[in-house]
Amino acid sequence: MTLATAAAAALLFGAGSYLLLQRSLVRVVAGIALISQCAIVTIIGSSLSQGRAPLDPAEGGPLSDPLPQALALTALVIGMGTLALLLALVHRVVVAHGTAERDELRDVDRPGRDEVVRQEGDETE
Amino acid sequence: MTALSLSLLVPWAAGLLLVVLDGRRRTVGWLGAVTLAATIAVLGLLAADVLRDGAVEMVTGGWPAGVGIVLRADALGVTFALLSCIVLLAAACAETLLGVGQRTVPGLLVLLAAGLNGLFLTGDVFNFYVFFEMSMIAAYVLTGYGGGRAQLRAAVIFASVNLLGSFIFLLAVAGTYRVTGTLAMDDVAERIREVPPNAAIAVAVGFFVAFSVKLGLFPFHYWLPTVYADTRPSVAAVLSGAVANIGAYGLLRFGPGVFAEQIRLSATVLVVLGAASIVYGGVLAVARRRPAEMLAYSAIGQVGYVLVAVGVGGPVGFAAAVLYSVVNALNKALLFLTTAVRGPLVAGAFVVGALSVAGVPPAVGFVGKLAVFRSAVDAGSPTLVVLLVVGSALSLLYLFLVYQREFWAEEDRDAVTDAETRDTAPARGVSRRVPVVVLAVLLLAGGLWPEPLVAVSAAAADVLTASTNGAGP
Repeated sequence: MTLATAAAAALLFGAGSYLLLQRSLVRVVAGIALISQCAIVTIIGSSLSQGRAPLDPAEGGPLSDPLPQALALTALVIGMGTLALLLALVHRVVVAHGTAERDELRDVDRPGRDEVVRQEGDETE
Repeated sequence: MTALSLSLLVPWAAGLLLVVLDGRRRTVGWLGAVTLAATIAVLGLLAADVLRDGAVEMVTGGWPAGVGIVLRADALGVTFALLSCIVLLAAACAETLLGVGQRTVPGLLVLLAAGLNGLFLTGDVFNFYVFFEMSMIAAYVLTGYGGGRAQLRAAVIFASVNLLGSFIFLLAVAGTYRVTGTLAMDDVAERIREVPPNAAIAVAVGFFVAFSVKLGLFPFHYWLPTVYADTRPSVAAVLSGAVANIGAYGLLRFGPGVFAEQIRLSATVLVVLGAASIVYGGVLAVARRRPAEMLAYSAIGQVGYVLVAVGVGGPVGFAAAVLYSVVNALNKALLFLTTAVRGPLVAGAFVVGALSVAGVPPAVGFVGKLAVFRSAVDAGSPTLVVLLVVGSALSLLYLFLVYQREFWAEEDRDAVTDAETRDTAPARGVSRRVPVVVLAVLLLAGGLWPEPLVAVSAAAADVLTASTNGAGP
């Protein structure tokens, strides 16, 4: 079971890294989502134990370790929040730049010597 | 104990409230600044307690120890929390004086303080991750502040690279739990000794990579120049003066504090990476024209000094690392803030910052450089000392290049100054420069009277060396 979890985590990380290196920003976000899932699978895999749910542990017998599950739940919530934020950011970028290709963002005209003026202008938006 | 919970509750509750209010109104901006000042006051009380009676501990939720999450304030954590809040306060004041352009900014700055305080004052590895994400999320949104094309692009780069770093951290947390069966930092530090060396090194490398990405050390720096150069100056000040502290604190807390043996094994690697960072950052900074970009490369170079000090290790090395992190955060906050304002006062403040980065006596940077040089001499490596001197010389060179271009070439700047003070009374124009000047005075005061700073960093280093010796066999 540990081997299967490790293999799944490795697969997720590999696929995530592959997507992260793509040009499209949406794929980059998908890659980050996969890597976050890889982290969660690893957390679950960090303490695989068979047993009853540790809700009412008075009756004896083996109990499963509740800690990784609590960690996984927390990490899932945080991962979802950051993913939503990242998608919103990508959306703003697409609106502002008119493209979701990473390479085309590079041609942003660098604010030159009139930087301060432009930023003063931005504030009035 | 009250001070400990208040230092988290005050910014958290106020931050939630401020995010809802319209931050573009001046009063809301000042409310944010007042909250940060109150947080600093609470942290000051906490620091006084900690320095007098040792670490303050508290188990959350009234759970028995070992079940509940432990919050722990020791000299190291309190130093970094105070430092970050001071930088955030300076940035909040500067931003309010210039006029906040987005409604959530004051709230986000306060929430960032809550997240940072949480991670500096926790004794639990996973809790560290939660606060870490909390502060990073605030930082991602702040990076996009301004909403221009350059800022949005910087925000996407910053968020995607640092999220990768965060998940590598999470993988390392899972690894820690796997090999030690606990997540309380003290227990991890104790049990990691019985762990097979290969597994321990793998986990330690995971943490190292995660913090190096945050700090922008040499092989992990690729995201940093674009982000620091393209965000608003006050945000760049926050990123380099407060958010980057996560990296420095993490390296110290998890390095000598938890993975003491692994840090000792990899000392050479750390020193080499640090030296590479110093030279790389210095050389590239000289080659840049825009001040913000130059400062960004300078930031890469400066964190190299921290890594060198951590690599050298021992009480002297760790104290130097803490001291240099403090000095560097204040320097960078000051220098990035000066890029937003102009005038003779600002030029003076910039010179103080530049002297401080280069390590010239009247400024506090001298104290930091002295400590790092001492640790390099302790390490007995002439090459290292020469590299540190070269790094300092380079920093003096590029900062005075900036000074010459930005503050001497006044005729180029006339148009900008006119536009900047277009619709503001001269009195307000002066008041805008107050945060920068106050930071500069702080740097000078720290340089003229360095004893408190030196004592605090020595106390912080004691925490680290005590945890490695105390749990020893």
